[in-house]
Amino acid sequence: MMNKLSRRDWIASLSGGMGVLGLAGMFSEAEARAAVTARPLVPAPMKFPNFTPKAKANIVLFMVGGPSQLDMFDPKPALFKYQGQRPASVDLRTERITGGLLPSSFEFKQYGRGGVHVSSLLPKIASVIDEICVIKSMYTFNPTHTPARSLFHTGNIAATRPSMGSWISYGLGSENKNLPGFVVLSPQASNERGLSRSGFLPAKHQGTSFDDSVTEPDKMIRYLQNKDLDKEKQREQLDLIQSLNKDHQQSFGQDDFLEGRIQSMETAYSMQFEATDAFDIRHEPESVRTLYGDTPFANGCLLARRLVERGVRTVHVYFGPGQPWDDHSKIDKNLTERCPGMDKACAALITDLKQRGLLDETLVTWGGEFGRTPVSESGDGRDHNPYGFTMWMAGGGVKGGIAYGETDEFGFKAVEKSVSIHDLHATMLNQMGVDHTKLTYRYAGRDFRLTDVYGEVVRDILV
Amino acid sequence: MILDVMVQPIYAAFRPWAILALAAAPLCAQTPSAEFFEKEIRPVLADKCYGCHSSKLKSPMGGLVLDTKAGVLKGGNGGPVLLAGDAKNSRLLRALTYNDTELRMPPTGKLPEEKVAAFEKWIAAGAPDPRQDATVGTASAVSIAKKGMDIEAGRKWWAFQPVNALPQPKVRNAAFAKQWTKDKIDWFILAKLEQNKLKPSPAADRATLIERATLDLTGLRPTYDEVQAFAADKAPDAYEKLLDRLLASPRYGERWGRYWLDVARFGEDNPTSEATNPAYPFAWRYRDWVIESVNKDVPFNRFVKLQLAADQMPGTSHDDLRALGYLGAAPVYHTDLRLSKDVIETLFTDGWDERVDAVSRGIMGLTVGCARCHDHKFDPILTKDYYALAGVFSSTVAAPRPTAEVDKETEQKFMFASQRIFYLSYLANLMNGEPGSKPEDAAKLVTQFTKELIETRDSMAFLKEDHIEMWNYLNNLARVPQVKKPAAVPPAVVNAAVEPVVPAPRPMPPANARRGRAGASDLPFMQSVFDAGVWINGSDPDLTLVDIKPGVPRDMNILPHANVASPGPIVPRQFLSVLSKGDTTFKNGSGRLELADRIFSDAAPLTARVFVNRAWAWHFGKPLVATQSDFGVQGEKPTHPELLDDLTARFIANGWSWKWLHREIMLSASYRQASHPRPEGTVADPTNHLLWRMNPRRLDVEAFRDSLLEVSGALDEKPAALSEDLDAVESHRRTVYGRVSRGRLNTVLQLYDFPDPTMSAPQRDLTTSPLQQLFVMNSSFVKDRATELVKLVDSETENSAKVRALYRRTLERDPSPKEVDLALSYLQKGTLADYAQALLATNEVIFWP
Repeated sequence: MMNKLSRRDWIASLSGGMGVLGLAGMFSEAEARAAVTARPLVPAPMKFPNFTPKAKANIVLFMVGGPSQLDMFDPKPALFKYQGQRPASVDLRTERITGGLLPSSFEFKQYGRGGVHVSSLLPKIASVIDEICVIKSMYTFNPTHTPARSLFHTGNIAATRPSMGSWISYGLGSENKNLPGFVVLSPQASNERGLSRSGFLPAKHQGTSFDDSVTEPDKMIRYLQNKDLDKEKQREQLDLIQSLNKDHQQSFGQDDFLEGRIQSMETAYSMQFEATDAFDIRHEPESVRTLYGDTPFANGCLLARRLVERGVRTVHVYFGPGQPWDDHSKIDKNLTERCPGMDKACAALITDLKQRGLLDETLVTWGGEFGRTPVSESGDGRDHNPYGFTMWMAGGGVKGGIAYGETDEFGFKAVEKSVSIHDLHATMLNQMGVDHTKLTYRYAGRDFRLTDVYGEVVRDILV
Repeated sequence: MILDVMVQPIYAAFRPWAILALAAAPLCAQTPSAEFFEKEIRPVLADKCYGCHSSKLKSPMGGLVLDTKAGVLKGGNGGPVLLAGDAKNSRLLRALTYNDTELRMPPTGKLPEEKVAAFEKWIAAGAPDPRQDATVGTASAVSIAKKGMDIEAGRKWWAFQPVNALPQPKVRNAAFAKQWTKDKIDWFILAKLEQNKLKPSPAADRATLIERATLDLTGLRPTYDEVQAFAADKAPDAYEKLLDRLLASPRYGERWGRYWLDVARFGEDNPTSEATNPAYPFAWRYRDWVIESVNKDVPFNRFVKLQLAADQMPGTSHDDLRALGYLGAAPVYHTDLRLSKDVIETLFTDGWDERVDAVSRGIMGLTVGCARCHDHKFDPILTKDYYALAGVFSSTVAAPRPTAEVDKETEQKFMFASQRIFYLSYLANLMNGEPGSKPEDAAKLVTQFTKELIETRDSMAFLKEDHIEMWNYLNNLARVPQVKKPAAVPPAVVNAAVEPVVPAPRPMPPANARRGRAGASDLPFMQSVFDAGVWINGSDPDLTLVDIKPGVPRDMNILPHANVASPGPIVPRQFLSVLSKGDTTFKNGSGRLELADRIFSDAAPLTARVFVNRAWAWHFGKPLVATQSDFGVQGEKPTHPELLDDLTARFIANGWSWKWLHREIMLSASYRQASHPRPEGTVADPTNHLLWRMNPRRLDVEAFRDSLLEVSGALDEKPAALSEDLDAVESHRRTVYGRVSRGRLNTVLQLYDFPDPTMSAPQRDLTTSPLQQLFVMNSSFVKDRATELVKLVDSETENSAKVRALYRRTLERDPSPKEVDLALSYLQKGTLADYAQALLATNEVIFWP
């Protein structure tokens, strides 16, 4: 049952004293995947990319809680006209009890060559709007956080399926074997639980989470550093472990877990050094740090850039902790406090990627699990709105300086060129060079897809 | 053999089909153009639509059937899909044009324009449909999809059928069967294997078998001496005796109790921790009760009944009342009582919903929670069933109960007083200084709450005489506010933007730093419940009040769409319609005991199947029914239905005994198989549904962490007591005694896939991640274990002897010559501690073959 590659090379590597090189260096991604395909009845991954990709890396800036499109990107003058009223068309069921229409307190202006509307909350994003495609006609299927969040991340409302990051890792592998292919950055690294799982895909495609509320890598990544052994001594120790593991596996026979853990050990080993550097934003010049700001989210954005620069395929940056964008009340005060940091970091990321020539090959997507209602909740807040909300994309072959789609006159429902989460996923995969209908995995008797049986690439927004 | 998973009809499910209802229109009497239909319409319907909208499907999506004339005419759940002659207003065309966000068909992509045009033309022409429907069977298919399964049809659902022991299945190769099988389970496994032209694997070797069984029943590794003794024991009943020994060990309950705690969503605090939902400092006593009861082999039916209604079961020992922590430490959500009645009522109904979900999915394997907003879309569960169960929990209130046995009346008074004092303290402090809509009224409220608070506390002063701990508890709970003047706030802003500062809740009860660690307290109380109806009272303009009436149950109104603002009719508390006949109205208090009784009488076959399936999964690493908490229409069917039924029937016949079930499963040859891969097996059945081998597994976090402590001689086997912080260096007790926080789960637990304790977990999904390996390579926990290991082998002088001793401790075997060579060559430069750590880090330690 052993595949020919691993057995011979392993023995050679261990008895020949080549261990210092590390096993990771011995498996190219292609070889590793070829080894997987050699196994009986495991569906052979398609050759990806299917076509020339626009983007190599995928960054998702996730605004946990559901940010208000009506106060940022989707101005609705009718809200003033019908302020406090409740026309029949806004009588849509949301999570909680809502009242009359609540106009935005923030002023909108048009920016860039496409005259895209952005509110006074986001001056810095407005200044880079020519790199951004604002999709105003997103919709999703559930007005509660957990299912909607799960749909956004996994394409399914029950949080058991693989994350989009896991799918991408499965399809495209990683460009840097010493760092995880799918990184999740979140303050306290807890609110993404379940959203970065690999589900039925092999465990190595699971997202790896880090706390971006601290800047020291050894604090961010628990147990990152070995306090007793230097690099070489640790390598010797690991060679011993892997040698024992290898013999053990040989005597047991082919086993996904045993193989996965051997690989995972190598990744962990390399991560210690590579990550200590990659995850240390203190290595950035002061000017760059200032550009992003010093919030956890800013750290996350800056880290995302450092990681995609090093070949990490997917980085999800959570704006947390908890679900800060869940503004059921006091929305004006909250947005006024919360937006500047977010605005600054997002714009900095786009500017920075652009300056380094990385924006063309990095797809950045911003949004939350849903948007918010034009009707008020408790007078000064907005409830969850799955019917119509805004996300934006930048770089990675997406047209900049445009707004796409429309919501109804009050900004409640997407009515024109509406885009589902599955459409969004299809588009993301497309930009990564993957046909979303071909990225499948056979499990429990059928082929699963990130987009299930849905999804259409939104071609109008592509360059 | 491998079952199809239904495509989740998410688009169909959320689409508000209902608002698209159109009046049914008779087909126009125009000249039918059969040819046009056959050429342009039928091929598209067949190709693109029948997949989800066919009368042949059990549940056509959206209740819409397009392969019959009647189906097209009838439309879907939301009404007709076409208005003959009026293409523009026909839902069918709207779906095809993709202009509507909510309604786009086919989901795989828009049809070419000319096809859409053909449909437009067809409908405009009156939608002539030449098909002659063969049968009238479609109506029932549609009605099932529309309303879920009806109750009478539902009674026939496989999981609800009585269980009966079945005759031993026939196998073809009788000679092999006779030689291989060990008990009845094996005949079922073998029959299925034979049907698929597979053979079972050879028996595992003795060392593997004792390791497997010891980890299985105790969550710990066997010692080297135990392995040796077992390998040498040639007695025919050596294995039986091994199981007896393991089942008698107190370590057994710590292992199997923990499994139940996953299902019972055990936690020691709430998902968030605010003024009205503080932590549960006595929840550990529930955990300990679970462990002790499993050790005592309390029959599973009694075990669960106690958790629902120990206080109402005659002859229950006071000690067994700890079982009520299942309800008394359930997750609850913060209810800021300044919010409107509707909001507060919604939060309370969310809490009751949590209990309906935990009981129905965890105990009965049914997703009753799906019927909260509407009748279950698939299962025969009605909204009224949901509210009939929810009423049990709206009639049950959590409060601490003294561990000491006091007279019933004192106990009831204490529980009610503690609930009342907590509530009044919260309100009095909340409103203190709060302007309210009329400051003088608010001030009056503070005065009133404070007065009531003091009165309630003082009414319990009699406890000082004989029950000082109980008095101290209440006295600490009572936070009498220093009355402040309400802040002068202009009326215009009142109720809008002003956020009054909520006084931080004092820990409840005051943290006892000396005795309690990690939020647990050893004051003599347990988390418990008493019967009282809960009503949300909106009579005050500034505050929502919560009326709790001891001994008065509250039947719930049906709340369509879970909307508390538009209550429907009241439904009496009773059991699920599909599982019972006649009047099952609960008459005794909240009805918890009657509910528990029904679960183990009317629903016994289901409940027993669900538990037997869970136990099977814990033993084999894979269940017979893949969806362990959903035995409904959306769930998977069993891979071995006869086996499940037979084993379940015999489990019931053997008094719902855990230990009987363990023996029956573990004595089987199926369980004793080797777990090595075999080519013919991996080809024919890669997921091992048929059990052609034992499933090799990864240890869960408890078994892994405990094993590391055990092999390094550090494990503190003290059973029971206060929960510990697992991150504390001195925490050497079994992982099951670590604190389980619903708000902030311990990182090591999280790292190794401990399930989310806010909801009943159907199973654990074990992963492998680099961060786990960093824990193994770099954590002080693992390094400390290595250091301790080295001390244990210090008496040996030669390195080779030390290595052998380390192997015996960590892997319960002697090293091979090659392994000794590797060790010696490593030790030329490396230290023994680093070597010991390497051994702990190997796959062999965390692997469970």
